Amino acid sequence: MPTITFSPDDLQKLVGQKLDEKKMTYLMDCAKAEIDAKLTNEITVKFNDTNQPYLWSPEGLARLFKNILGKQKGIPAIKVQKSQDKVIYDKRLTKIRPHIACFKATGKKIDEYLLKQLIQLQEKLAENFGRKRQKISIGVYPLKNITFPVNCKAASPDEKFTPLDFHQPASLRQTLEKHPKGKEYGHLIKNESVYPVFVDAKKSIMSLIPIINSEQTGRLKVGDDSLFFDTTGTDEESVDLVANIFAYALAERGFTIQSLTIEYSGKKVVTPSLENKKIKFNEKEIAKVLGIELKTNEVKTLLNKMGYDYQTGTVTIPSYRNDIMHQVDIIEDIGIAYGYDNFQPLPLTSYTRGATFPSQQLADTQRNLWIGLGYQEIMSAVLSNKELLYDKMSVQDFGTIQIENHISQTYSCVRTWILPILLDLLSKNKHIDYPQRVFEQGPVTIQEKEPRDEQHLAAVSTHSTATFTELRQAVETTLRNSNIAYSIEEYELDCFIPGRAAKIIINKKMAGFIGEFHPAILEKFGLHTPTAGCEINLGALK
Amino acid sequence: MDIKKLAQSLHTYERRVLPELARHPYLEDLAAATGLQEVEAMRALQWLENKKAVTVETEPKELIVLDKNGQEYLKSGLPEKRFLKALQEKEIPLSKLAEKTKLTREEVNICVGLLRQKGAILLLQDKELKVKITDQGNRLLKSELPEEKFLKQNFPLITTELNPEQKHTLEQLRRRKQIIKVEVKRIKKAKLTDVGKQLISLGVRDEKFVDTITPQILRTGEWKNKTFRRYDVTINVPQISGGKKQPYRAFQDWVRTKFVSLGFNEMNGPLVETEFWNMDSLYMPQFHSARDIHDAYYIAEPKYGKLDDKLVKRVQAAHEHGGNTGSTGWKYQFDAERTHRHVLRTQGTACSARMLASKDLKIPGKYFGITRVFRHDVIDATHLPDFNQTEGIIVEEGLTFRHLVGLLKMFAKEFADTEEIRIVPGYFPFTEPSAELYAKHPQLGWIELGGAGIFRPEVVTPLLGKNISVCAWGLGIDRIGMFKLGLKDIRDLFSHDLSFLRNTPVI
Repeated sequence: MPTITFSPDDLQKLVGQKLDEKKMTYLMDCAKAEIDAKLTNEITVKFNDTNQPYLWSPEGLARLFKNILGKQKGIPAIKVQKSQDKVIYDKRLTKIRPHIACFKATGKKIDEYLLKQLIQLQEKLAENFGRKRQKISIGVYPLKNITFPVNCKAASPDEKFTPLDFHQPASLRQTLEKHPKGKEYGHLIKNESVYPVFVDAKKSIMSLIPIINSEQTGRLKVGDDSLFFDTTGTDEESVDLVANIFAYALAERGFTIQSLTIEYSGKKVVTPSLENKKIKFNEKEIAKVLGIELKTNEVKTLLNKMGYDYQTGTVTIPSYRNDIMHQVDIIEDIGIAYGYDNFQPLPLTSYTRGATFPSQQLADTQRNLWIGLGYQEIMSAVLSNKELLYDKMSVQDFGTIQIENHISQTYSCVRTWILPILLDLLSKNKHIDYPQRVFEQGPVTIQEKEPRDEQHLAAVSTHSTATFTELRQAVETTLRNSNIAYSIEEYELDCFIPGRAAKIIINKKMAGFIGEFHPAILEKFGLHTPTAGCEINLGALK
Repeated sequence: MDIKKLAQSLHTYERRVLPELARHPYLEDLAAATGLQEVEAMRALQWLENKKAVTVETEPKELIVLDKNGQEYLKSGLPEKRFLKALQEKEIPLSKLAEKTKLTREEVNICVGLLRQKGAILLLQDKELKVKITDQGNRLLKSELPEEKFLKQNFPLITTELNPEQKHTLEQLRRRKQIIKVEVKRIKKAKLTDVGKQLISLGVRDEKFVDTITPQILRTGEWKNKTFRRYDVTINVPQISGGKKQPYRAFQDWVRTKFVSLGFNEMNGPLVETEFWNMDSLYMPQFHSARDIHDAYYIAEPKYGKLDDKLVKRVQAAHEHGGNTGSTGWKYQFDAERTHRHVLRTQGTACSARMLASKDLKIPGKYFGITRVFRHDVIDATHLPDFNQTEGIIVEEGLTFRHLVGLLKMFAKEFADTEEIRIVPGYFPFTEPSAELYAKHPQLGWIELGGAGIFRPEVVTPLLGKNISVCAWGLGIDRIGMFKLGLKDIRDLFSHDLSFLRNTPVI
């Protein structure tokens, strides 16, 4: 989730009024944001909705807050001057970065705080919304060093420029290999035969897209008062959106926005577009979703509060938003403006029959029987590892779901049986009073043709006189009391002493097994008391 | 307690110990005198001390006991005596003395030194060195040596109780090998109190007391003429451990019962899910950050699962352009292979998606699941790689956000025991509108109790075939569970510490 840090004073200045704590919390709630950390003159805000990049700056938050507080109605207008300058696009880039948007912003001196804010917005948009610069990336430059027309062109990897923080020119290829940003984002263009760059009319490379600006033309400093902005990307709407978000933010800071013409081969586009979208809206849907009846003028007021324009049946969405996929998205905003606190709750009145999951009822019955036999119930992680499940038990893998990207070896597969986990538990409790009798009921997953979950129950007993007979008696008690017909047959499993293990047969199928653990196994777990155990597939008990 | 009751509560051991105490204050003597094991006598003393019938003191004492050789000499006589005895008939060459006297060479050497000093023998130089007994020697042979007298005493002896002569002998013997040992021992000494004396005067030897009731006593009716010993029912008894539920599962059982009583039906689903059920069916775009390799556990083999093609197509359409849901969709190219990819379930909502698409779905219907889910997290006090989620859906024509608010109020009342709640805007990819529920728990204060919303048409329509209201919710009740169990560390939910499990109350 994106977070941003800014000065609360700055936010209040942008909003144009003081915001006490209560008001601030309310407004942040409306933005689906929360204050994560608070310093004297700095707050960090976390955004829960990842689809609202227009809010990821103090300017964006202030814009929404002004709407909610009634300081502005609907979509605020910003002035844009049309510049005669242009950016020429090289069609060889169509496969790499098919869309670009650029503009100039002039007439406002940048101080240290504003510089930090601009870099923060650029980073959040490119990292979070731009999916680590893959979908979109952004460049900001001081305007003074740039001569128009600017070219967005395909360059040979051998062309040279001095990337930011380097003292000497490096080839574009070297920049990918050596510059920290090249190492981080180089994979986005490394395999291309040409690399995308911005070059000004004096043939000076301004930046390697989407990696790094040049030291000469691309270093923005405190005191600069005019900017060149670019965004490039793979998705036209996103590129357009990011340019609009940035243009709004800069305009609200006091810059004059000057649009630029992008010359693609065969078409010319003026950016930023600042084009608001209109969508049809059925007021009747509000009552269906929110359960409240609103008059048209109320709908209009609420929509204006959330920054929309409204004329009966048509909602206008500001150009800096693209998170409206369905009219329910607009209805939610109406609900937020209405105030979640103002909704009168309605009870659920329909009759519905409650019940636990059928296998849960069976499991609970078995759990209770084992508890009655004096066994302590335990609950373990479902994730385990093959060393414990098989190697330590001296048995063959019987079909295990393994995790491809596990963090630790300890949790690298899903358990296929529970007994090894119980022995592991005993090995950690040797200092505790005996007898120790524990059981666990829970899921295991076995891989045959497809992964299959089974509900198992496993139990162990360890003390100086624990035997196969003790466990068999326990198993028979639980089965008899569950009214289940069963038979016991000889069984061999390498973790048990030969001749001291048996399988439980129910409906002619093996439902589980009982056995006295072989000293060689006990030795591996460091256990010094005789131990017997059983494991039953509860699915076979039905 | 009055003295009679006290007398009736005496254990057999106590009864045997009491009358002997005056004569045998030391534990060891007492045990011997009563025929009890020392531990039994000790236990009796402790009980009597608890009853204030005796006082028990511990004294450090130097105890003299017979060592290996000392015990041997007591039986077969002192070496010097045996030595002289052998010489009585005739003189014996020194080299043959060990053989003749059946003493070790070392003992022989000691005897030669010792007896020469006492003038009891002479050494003669003949062909070889010979030993001859003197008159003094013969006298010694007939008399009892102080050392012999010493060994015949009742051991252990206490050093402070020896007379000067005995002390001298002790010093002599201590110089010799393994005859006696001096040990420092803490010995228990008991003294009768007035209560103890009164008890004795009441006649504690009374054979009419029944201590342990045996089948024999019951069958024969032996008990009829007897009195039962009173127990000290206030005394601590050893702890035992029975079978019981795992505390966290007991809490889950409580939650489950609660839901069932509210008319909810339990649902479930597989641990190994496809991305389809886990995310795609919930309208989480395939590029969503929560679908990153760092957030879910991907299955190594088999990589892909089986799905209903028609269903996949409908969900795909919703993602790409909205399909018939009235949405623009996420506007990207849906990867139909990836949707089959196996992951470990990351959210219980996958079960809700399955329920919506199931032929068993009832409308109206309320569903809940307490499901195991897995997250790609490093384990610490607040993160586990596998944990449980509680969530569900309510499917009913005409449900609105106001019903959702009503539902959340009910949950706050049922699970956090509070009517004070705050509902604020929230965000989930699968619900719109979405809300977060905060509740003021009586002890914990304001807690984030859960999230909820109305499923988006992009979720409902592809799965159900039509768009009707589905309220979805998830509750963070583990927090309440941990609070009820007094836990601070989430890892304790899966504790393998048997002592913790045995001693944590079931709630």
